[in-house]
Order: sequence, then C-alpha cells, then structure tokens
Amino acid sequence: MNAVVLAVALPLLGAFLTPSLARLSLPLGRLFGPGLLAFCLWLLWGIARALGDATAGVALGGFAPPLGIAFHLDRLALLFALAVPAMVLALWPWGGRPREWSLTLVLAAAATGLALSGDLFNLYVFYELLAVASYGLIAANQRPAAQAAALRYLLLSAAGSALALLGIALVYTQTGTLNLAQLALLAPVSLDGPLGLAAFALLLLGIGVKAEAFPVNTWVPEVYATAPSRLAGLLAGLVSKLAVLVIVRLLLVVFQRPEATQLMLVLGVLGIAWGELAAWRARDLSRQLAWSSVGQLGIVFVAFSLPGETGVLAGLAVALHHLLVKPALFLLARHWNGALEGLRGAARRAPLAGALFALFALSLVGVPPLPGFWAKFVTLSGLFAQPGPLCSLAAVVILTATLVEAAYLFRTLTLLFGPGGEEPRMAPHGALDLGTATAFAGLLLAGVIWLQPLTGDLHGIARQAVDMDTYVDTDLPTPRP
Amino acid sequence: MTPPPIEFLLYGGALALVALGLAGLVMARHLFRSILALGILEAGANLLLVLAGYRAGGVAPILTPGTLGQPMVDPVPQALVLTAIVIGVGVQALALALALRVHQAYGTLDVAEVRGRMEADTDAAAGLEPETSRDLPAVERPS
Repeated sequence: MNAVVLAVALPLLGAFLTPSLARLSLPLGRLFGPGLLAFCLWLLWGIARALGDATAGVALGGFAPPLGIAFHLDRLALLFALAVPAMVLALWPWGGRPREWSLTLVLAAAATGLALSGDLFNLYVFYELLAVASYGLIAANQRPAAQAAALRYLLLSAAGSALALLGIALVYTQTGTLNLAQLALLAPVSLDGPLGLAAFALLLLGIGVKAEAFPVNTWVPEVYATAPSRLAGLLAGLVSKLAVLVIVRLLLVVFQRPEATQLMLVLGVLGIAWGELAAWRARDLSRQLAWSSVGQLGIVFVAFSLPGETGVLAGLAVALHHLLVKPALFLLARHWNGALEGLRGAARRAPLAGALFALFALSLVGVPPLPGFWAKFVTLSGLFAQPGPLCSLAAVVILTATLVEAAYLFRTLTLLFGPGGEEPRMAPHGALDLGTATAFAGLLLAGVIWLQPLTGDLHGIARQAVDMDTYVDTDLPTPRP
Repeated sequence: MTPPPIEFLLYGGALALVALGLAGLVMARHLFRSILALGILEAGANLLLVLAGYRAGGVAPILTPGTLGQPMVDPVPQALVLTAIVIGVGVQALALALALRVHQAYGTLDVAEVRGRMEADTDAAAGLEPETSRDLPAVERPS
C-alpha cells in the first residue's frame, strides 16, 4: 500500500526532470511524462485491485496520523486517483513545449494527492500546487487575451485559496487538529456552532473557485475560450471534479449538518440557472461549452447535497458523466471555435466528428438510454423523495435547465448538420483528437451496456464513502476515547 | 477603563486585514491594486492561523537544551503558515509577471478596460462582431 505515495511523487519528480531530458533529446522528453503517467495508472490499478472493498490508511514517513500526515485509501479516493493519470494521458499536450509537459505532470501529481489526502494540511498544499500548475498552463498561451484571462483567474483563485486558508484556521482554532479522521470525531461537538458553519462556507467558496461554484465562476468562459482545447478539457473535466471531491469529503467527514448541505444546494441551483442561461446566450461554441460546464457542475453540487448514500451515488453519476463528456466535446469543438453561425454544415464535411458531437450533446441533455439520462434521473428522483420546498425547487430548476440545455445544444446540432456553408474554412480534425473522442464515446456506450454492474459499483462506493466509522478506524488505528 | 486583552486586538487586526483585502479585491479599479489587496488578504489569513496556535508565554517550538520543558507555541499552524507564505510569494510574483505582460499588450491595467479588450480579442479570434444591444446608450452603440 505504501507504493501509493509513488503515484504522487513520481510525476512530481518527473516534472523537474522533463526540461533537462527534453534538452538532452526531445523525443525522450516527449515520451517521459506519458510513460510515467502510464506507470502510475498501472500502480494505482494494482493497489485498487489488491484493496478491493477494504480501506487503508498510509502514514507518510511512518508517523501515525494524529501526529503525522496520512493518505486515506478507499474506493472513492482510488476511483478519482485512477481518473487522474487516465485523463491526463488522454488529454496530454503532445504539441506543447517541455514547460507545458512539466506543468501538466505537476498538475497530475497535485490532483492525485488531492484525491488521496486524509488531512486538511495536505489538501491545502496539493490544492495550491494544482492552482499554480493551472496558472502556468493557462499563461503558456502567448496571446494577450490568454494572459489577461490567466491574471484574472489567478486573482480570483488566489483570493479563494486565502479564504480556504481562513476556513482551515477557523477549524484549527475550534478543534486543534487538521486530520480528517480526528476532525470527524471532534466535529459534532467542536464545530457545531456558527463558527463551524462559517468555516465550511469559507472552504466551500475557496475551493469552489476550481469547482466552478456559483459566485466565483466568472473565470470559466474567459479561460476556456482562450485556452487550448486539451487544457480546457482537463480543467473542466478533471480539475473541477477533484475540487468537488474535496468539498464532498469535507461535507461527509467533517461538516455533517443540514445547514452545510443547504448551502451547497442553494449555490448549486444558482449555478445551474446562471450557467445554462449564459450558455443559451453564448455566440461561439467554446464559450457555450464553458457555460454549460458551469451548469453541469451546479447539478453536481445539488446532487451531492442530497443526504447519505443517495447523494454520493447521484453526485458521482453526474460528476463521472461530465468528466467523460465535457473533455470530448472540447476536443471536438477545437476546430469549430468560431461563431456559431459559421458552423453551418460543418458536420457534413466531418461526419465522424459530427456524429460524436451529437452523441455527447444528447448524453449531456439526458436523452435515454445514454448515461446522462440515468445520472439526471437518479438526481431528480432523489430530490423528489426529499421533503421541503428547497429540494422541489432544485428539481424544477434542473428540469427547466434541461429544457434550456436542449434548446441551445439542438440549435448547435441543427447548425452543424444543416445545409449551407460551402467554403471549407475550417481545418479538418486531427487524428489524435478524433481518436481520443472516439475512445471516450466507446466508454460512454460501454456505460449504456454495463449500466447494471456500474450502478452496483457506484452503490458500493457510495456506501463506503458515507461509512464514517470505517473512515475513522482506518486512519486512527488507536482505540477511540 | 481597563484595556481590552491583547488577543482581541490581534484577532481584530487579523480580521480587519482580511476585510481590507477582500474590499480591495472587490473595489479596486487597477489590477496592481488588486494584487496588493491579495497580499493583504493573505497576510490576514496567515496571521489568524498563527494566532490559532499561539500560547501565552510560549517559546518557538524547537527542541534545544534551553527550551526543554518550557511551554511552546503550536508548531502545526506555523508550518502551515510557512507553506502559505512561500506559496503566496510565488503566486504574487507570477501575478506581477502576468500584469507586466498584460500591460505590454494592452497598455493599461484598468480592470474594466482589460476585461473589455480581452473580450473583444476573444470575440475577434472567434470571428464574432462585438457584442452590442439595441438597449445600450446611444453613445456606446456602434454606428
């Protein structure tokens, strides 16, 4: 189990070796990063297989958790830890410069650490590392608009980090510990007051910057419209999900109280309304997809705010679906980034790309039998089963947003497949982008075929994630007070 | 009238720094001021975290023959703050470098102007006309 540390350490080490290797020999530098990530994927896969249904804590450096810092391994953590090297490999910036390969490896290391960490201290450090890597990657594009977008994103994100640090400070003043398992024991007493809620609100807002949460998501269209499509896919697909994972861990382990979930629900509903309406108004494809990502993350927030196992199941379903669909859409939109009107008939000249785009768009709207339908269905049925006007309101907002989503995506599809647009102004799709998107489509269709076992697996993950006794016993092996 | 305990002053000061930084970030019209406000906000958060581990009369948490057995301040927040300070310095340097680049490209660091230029650039790259509305004031409508 201790080998899991390598999944964080190796990409980090590789990030610093890549520039030197690339100077030695460019092909070697080019293959070094993907090779490391493939090794990490294999390593994590082996650990996940060996662990099975069990959980494990890894004390870094051999210092036991209340004193030292720890990784917490369970199926939820390993699922996202596996998603990191897989997604980074799929969206690897092959065409970039050594600096970008380096930063992408830092991003992978930080994201893996974020998924595995069982300690607020480490969560903060990995979150910052992820943030710094993403600033660098966005600013690697030399266009002035990208530089301005990177600066505006940096200011918002750094302010969010400071707020999250403030939340951590509040947690520490109330409990005197940063270990999540120990916090789970202390929270019902120590964090029950308004200060505990304030700490959660600060952490939610701070980490919510990366998770595209409602009031702090203004960076989304600016960055995604100027970033290369692979980076946009990585940020929208992977990084936002890891930020959500951190928030959900905090919600489940530390802040189990109705006010906290309500806060998430309200932010989620506002995010859905804001994102989908802005996407409807968007005039070019990359900004339409960016705003739609804000709306989808709103649904993820609403889904995770459902209590207990249902919430984790619904949230995972929506989050994993978006993790797969949005990067593929960004890849396909790479050569269709002009005004929507200019896309007339584009799918007729690129039938495969058009068909894939239609498949992903339909799944995003939630047309049965595609997995997007099932994800939204689980969320909505969970919402309707809850008492209270807020949950019903959220369900109504999701249904309305689905209509809006259908309206703008079908409009885009009509333009893509419609007649007209004789001059072939757009470059054809690269084989790499198309291949990656096809692989994602294969996974999506596999999700349709193996929906039953997939649901069973997600149920198992959700059951384990809400089981706090096991969580505490895993990380704090000493008998409880 | 007795003076308030020193803790009130320190906590109040830290929270005031946070409030000042947030207000600055929200209200600044100039990007350089935003970067300064960010520094103030981070200083406030760091100060609050150090205070969380403060112990009256404690010494630095380093084990030497002289400090053995004396009360010590909590080392965990100090380690966290040290990390946060290092990250903060790096991020601010990066922000300044980006601000320089933006200034070279646009000749201004005014928040609204930079945003307008950025959106115009993005629109132009996508081949879009500048966004207009017939509800705009007549002077801002393109003729």
